[in-house]
Amino acid sequence: MVSFPTPLLWKSTLRFYGRHPWQMVLSILGIALGVAVVVAVDLANESARRAFDHSMQAVTGQASHQIIGGPAGLDEAVYVHLRREGLVRDSAPVISAYVQLGDRLLHLLGVDPFAEGQFRKLLDYTDDAEAGDAIRRLLIEPGAVVMSREMASELGLQVGAELSLHASGLAQPALLVGIFDPPPGKAAALQDLLLTDIASAQELLGMVGRLSYIDLRLSQHEPEDRLTDIKAMLPSNARLVSAESRGQAMGQMTRAFRINLTAMSLLALVVGMFLIYNTMSFSVLQRRGLIGNLRVLGVSRTSISGLVLGEGFLIGLIGTLLGLLLGMLLAQELVKLVTRTINDLYFVVQVTGVELSLTGILKAVALGVGATLLAVLVPAWEAGLAPPRMAMNRSRIELKASRLLLPLALAGLALIGLALVLLLPNRSLVLGFGSLFLLMLGFSLLTPAGVVLCSKLAVPLLGRLFGLPGRMAARGVRASLSRTGVAIAALSIAVSATVGVGVMVESFRTSVQHWLASTLQGDIYIAPPLAPGSGSDRRLDAALVAAIEQVPGIAEISRGRPMDVQSAEGITQLFALHMAQQSYAGMELLEGEKERVWAQFDQEQAVIISEPYAYHHRLQAGGLLRLVTDEGEQEFRIAGVYRDYGSDQGVVTMRMSLYRQYWKDDSIFSMGLYLEPGVDVPGMIKQLQALSAGKQVLRIRSNRTLREASIDTFDRTFAITNVLRLLAIGVAFVGILSALMALQLEKARELAILRATGFTPGQVWGLVTTQTGFMGLISGLLAIPLGVMLAALLIFVINRRAFGWSMDIILPGGVLIEALLLALIAALLAGLYPAWKMARVPPAAALREE
Amino acid sequence: MTSPPTEPFVRLEALTRVFQEGKRTRPVLNGVSGEIHKGKAVALLGHSGSGKSTLLNLIAGIDSPSQGRVIIGGQEITAMNEYSRTLFRRRHIGFVYQFFNLIPTLNVEENLLLPLELNAASTPGERRERVNSLLASVGLSDRAGSFPDQLSGGEQQRVAVARALVHAPDLVLADEPTGNLDAENGRQVLELLHGLVRDEQRTLLIVTHSQAVAAQADQILTLQQGRLVEAADKVLW
Repeated sequence: MVSFPTPLLWKSTLRFYGRHPWQMVLSILGIALGVAVVVAVDLANESARRAFDHSMQAVTGQASHQIIGGPAGLDEAVYVHLRREGLVRDSAPVISAYVQLGDRLLHLLGVDPFAEGQFRKLLDYTDDAEAGDAIRRLLIEPGAVVMSREMASELGLQVGAELSLHASGLAQPALLVGIFDPPPGKAAALQDLLLTDIASAQELLGMVGRLSYIDLRLSQHEPEDRLTDIKAMLPSNARLVSAESRGQAMGQMTRAFRINLTAMSLLALVVGMFLIYNTMSFSVLQRRGLIGNLRVLGVSRTSISGLVLGEGFLIGLIGTLLGLLLGMLLAQELVKLVTRTINDLYFVVQVTGVELSLTGILKAVALGVGATLLAVLVPAWEAGLAPPRMAMNRSRIELKASRLLLPLALAGLALIGLALVLLLPNRSLVLGFGSLFLLMLGFSLLTPAGVVLCSKLAVPLLGRLFGLPGRMAARGVRASLSRTGVAIAALSIAVSATVGVGVMVESFRTSVQHWLASTLQGDIYIAPPLAPGSGSDRRLDAALVAAIEQVPGIAEISRGRPMDVQSAEGITQLFALHMAQQSYAGMELLEGEKERVWAQFDQEQAVIISEPYAYHHRLQAGGLLRLVTDEGEQEFRIAGVYRDYGSDQGVVTMRMSLYRQYWKDDSIFSMGLYLEPGVDVPGMIKQLQALSAGKQVLRIRSNRTLREASIDTFDRTFAITNVLRLLAIGVAFVGILSALMALQLEKARELAILRATGFTPGQVWGLVTTQTGFMGLISGLLAIPLGVMLAALLIFVINRRAFGWSMDIILPGGVLIEALLLALIAALLAGLYPAWKMARVPPAAALREE
Repeated sequence: MTSPPTEPFVRLEALTRVFQEGKRTRPVLNGVSGEIHKGKAVALLGHSGSGKSTLLNLIAGIDSPSQGRVIIGGQEITAMNEYSRTLFRRRHIGFVYQFFNLIPTLNVEENLLLPLELNAASTPGERRERVNSLLASVGLSDRAGSFPDQLSGGEQQRVAVARALVHAPDLVLADEPTGNLDAENGRQVLELLHGLVRDEQRTLLIVTHSQAVAAQADQILTLQQGRLVEAADKVLW
């Protein structure tokens, strides 16, 4: 039996909001901010993902499969053999690496111009008049390159310009022989591409005789034995993979990062939802008498509920549309932070802009309107339950609120219990976040009981501090529990979210700092400058390495070589390491007895794995790990598990001599120098810089500088989280301002009676300010334990399940004080306008009936 | 809605209402029985706190008795579910409150249109005609566009009376309709209420603590200690 509200009822509702515009405006703003954050994060994530996909597709082109090799690439003889055997008609050799031109990072792609056309047709985009000439020059002139028109224009280059490319810190001359204009759909993806002949690429990168991979174009219905034949002719360190799977594997690397970002943004929306619930509940309470009146006139329950839902829909729709606009603006900045983090931690991606798609708009509308309607459900249901009496007196409402204290508290405890049940051993991130939200909901139901307790304790204290207004303020909070309970719950939830995230970030930061201090034992660290990657573009010049090793004053040197290898667990980051004696003590072992671990690591066919790797792949000390080497698949014992915050995918570390046993690669990518006692670090750095000048550009950093740079990277990564945290604070601030202001303005008549009885304007000020300040204080105090619990969930469950890291929880006093101050300041500000208004308005005006 | 000429229009059978206040219970009505015939104006007298408004709420169907029955026009209100009671109230009952209770965000005309819109039994043109006619009857034709906070107390109550009658209810319930008005305004409103009820042949039940107000009714019932007793100088039935 559903009846819809009549047009006059809608008119009446709209005019109510017209008379209380700030209530509606602040509600709309609350949902707009929440939606803006979700939209911005979604756009930033999507833009980065799309940029990566487009880039992969543009470079992969028509290739269906690829033959890839080990860390040092693929022997070009494989390609020759493939062509001679005639197993694959369409194939092309490729060199792929990143080089630096000035301060721009470019993707160098070395191709065979004759085979290229079947895959990418990049050379077809060259200006017709120059195409033939460009291709000819690519083939015959060493270092000849072709770049996009947009890049050439940006760098002010023309055909014939001489370039100095830096690959792995080594300067290499190049010559611009052509410019290509990719079609509009591929322009962004190919903007940073530098095309060259494969032989030139091999020379530029020091990869003569080697390839990065071979592109193949096989039909969709290729018979299985054909694939088997191809695999059979490959050397032991090469494998055939689908082009799609490579892209997917790389995309998966950022999955946990993107999920966490999305969850943070949803947290802002959930905070907004609590505040919408608070505002709508209050608005329903304000109109309790009116609703009762309408019920007497014969308006049905469903009509009343429909009215409130309709209000929610309107607020949600306007807020969402506003949020979409704000989100687009926010996304422009957020995408830079997201891109920077992906570049810092995972792989190179260039995002040129954000685009809001129809799907994105529909998703935002569904989320914003849906979230608002969800938040409004309970107030709408409560409004429908309003009895059709002539006047629902306040005492009845408050009596009902008091009666609900125990059931609400029990329901809250039940939800908290359910939240804990969801944490029972499992690895689900979704259940982890579900537990987080249940905890917040359960706590909000316990808040009214907390308010009653705090009020009882505060009456004598506030009385002693502020006299009669102080006692009245404390009692007033308790007496208006139906209103104050909701407002305080909403504010404490909002503030607790900021506490939780703040404590999590600080705990993580402190853990990373301790880990860096422990792990970085060397005095100086050397590596070439470039983005993350393990290709040949990052090796140290062998002659320079030899020269450094001869420099007096160096007691020990550690050497490292990171790479991606194939394993039974998929693509695995392997780190070959020659450890200095002093560095053993710096590695924190989480599994395995120290002496036995190092004995196995140094002498046996054994590796150590980082904590995230162990967690993600369910491995432990004593287990076995199979890796694909240049000598075929080999089995390695897992000697131990160590703490490592450097990679959330996890790393397998192997001693350098064991690595060289199975991989034909003697390159070094990084060095750690342990100086003799008394040797001056800055002086040694200057010496090393002089040694490398003109040979290879290197990053030579002291232990301290490297630690600071690492923490900078950490801070940049969490810049996004901090931005989201600030926005959540903004949402909380806006929402609580509206709720508390409405609360105080509703007491106009009550305060007018006090004025008529003899309260001075100053005493009214004192009463209102003390009451709102007291509510802010309760909110802040209640927010702290919940915030700490949220932090514990984020650290021990969410972070663990998403990234595999474990860390200690640190409670920084600053975050807790900040939360208390936030709640207090928001509440005090909220009381300013009502206090001012009530102190000024003549009591007679407020006492007059409507 | 009709009932046979000899049958009472409103019948109350052993109505009891007990309120729970914290740990205490407070009995307000204790086996109230009585009858009201169609077309009569009945006054319900009693001192403050005697249960007059409670009885009115039970008759209107906006409260449920702890025990007993309310039958109006042959239909047992107390046996209906909440939705049916709402529909019954919408169609057959008009209410006048002590504190007017006009919808503050609707103007005078719209306040009168609301019950007609809820009933949806007439065309927009017919509704306007009915509203204009009643506004003329209460002397407020020139205030159709005013909002309640722009009217005096007497004017607001006149609008409330018009609203209570606009949808031609069978039963009009008035709870202390003059309680918030001065003597002159109260007299005018009462005169209006009785006049319109008589003209439209409705049944009226006025709750009051004023003997003077009660004296204008056809019948007087008195609530004493939760029970209904007849007035000394008026024939009940």
